[in-house]
Amino acid sequence: MKVTVNNREVETTASNLLLLSQQLNLPPAGIAVAVNNRIISRPQWENCPIAHGDSLIIIKAVCGG
Amino acid sequence: MVQFITHCTGRYSYVESARLALEGGCRWIQLRMKNSTPEEIYAAAKEVKSMCEKHHATFIIDDCVEIAKDIHPDGVHLGKLDMPIGKAREILGEKAIIGGTANTFEDVENLYRAGANYIGCGPFRYTTTKANLSPILGIEGYRQIISKMKENNIAIPVVAIGGITEHDIPNLMELGIDGIALSSSILNADNPVEEMKRIIKIAQSWKNL
Repeated sequence: MKVTVNNREVETTASNLLLLSQQLNLPPAGIAVAVNNRIISRPQWENCPIAHGDSLIIIKAVCGG
Repeated sequence: MVQFITHCTGRYSYVESARLALEGGCRWIQLRMKNSTPEEIYAAAKEVKSMCEKHHATFIIDDCVEIAKDIHPDGVHLGKLDMPIGKAREILGEKAIIGGTANTFEDVENLYRAGANYIGCGPFRYTTTKANLSPILGIEGYRQIISKMKENNIAIPVVAIGGITEHDIPNLMELGIDGIALSSSILNADNPVEEMKRIIKIAQSWKNL
């Protein structure tokens, strides 16, 4: 499925934010992630489902992905 | 996403304003304390940092890079007259989130090239929160900045700031703005906690596709 990360399309099979964060190599701290404009705090990543068409905004120091 | 910028009002101190925002569900706090002494900022920063940690919220300090070096927030926000991004990066390292203030596309481009991680872009309209204000952007100003960013392939999260109310959120999100920064509209509400909850709900209901 496709999701957008900072307005760029990303192909993923991750079913939740924790798995997606691993795919994107996101650091465990110093980061703000919003899924469809809702900021998801780190402990909630595993419980945050990711679906086709979701829009993610990631604010973090070292940009990649 | 919603960023709350602390403000000191007749009713609330800077630290209290951050506490209200967190209680209302905001998970991104910028501690901004203009006209305060470094000692006051240091003390407040320590307190707000521990509050943010408790709520797993991102914590940004406005301007004070030296204080940030000691306190270790998630990052800093640098205004147009503050320390350049590159210098702050040298001091705080690769792991710090560094945001910068932009009023024009040229500002956005410069901040992006300097290695900023997000842009606080504004002011949207006139606000009493900030004293030395650049020209207001309005919806049209944001439209032009966002479209030039796309033309130039500049992908960096943009947060709109400056006198934004709930009615502006859909219009701004529609343009491709990634977030909004709020301060006085929350604190001037009868119940700031409920107001924050309401605003976050409105921002969430807009799926930015």
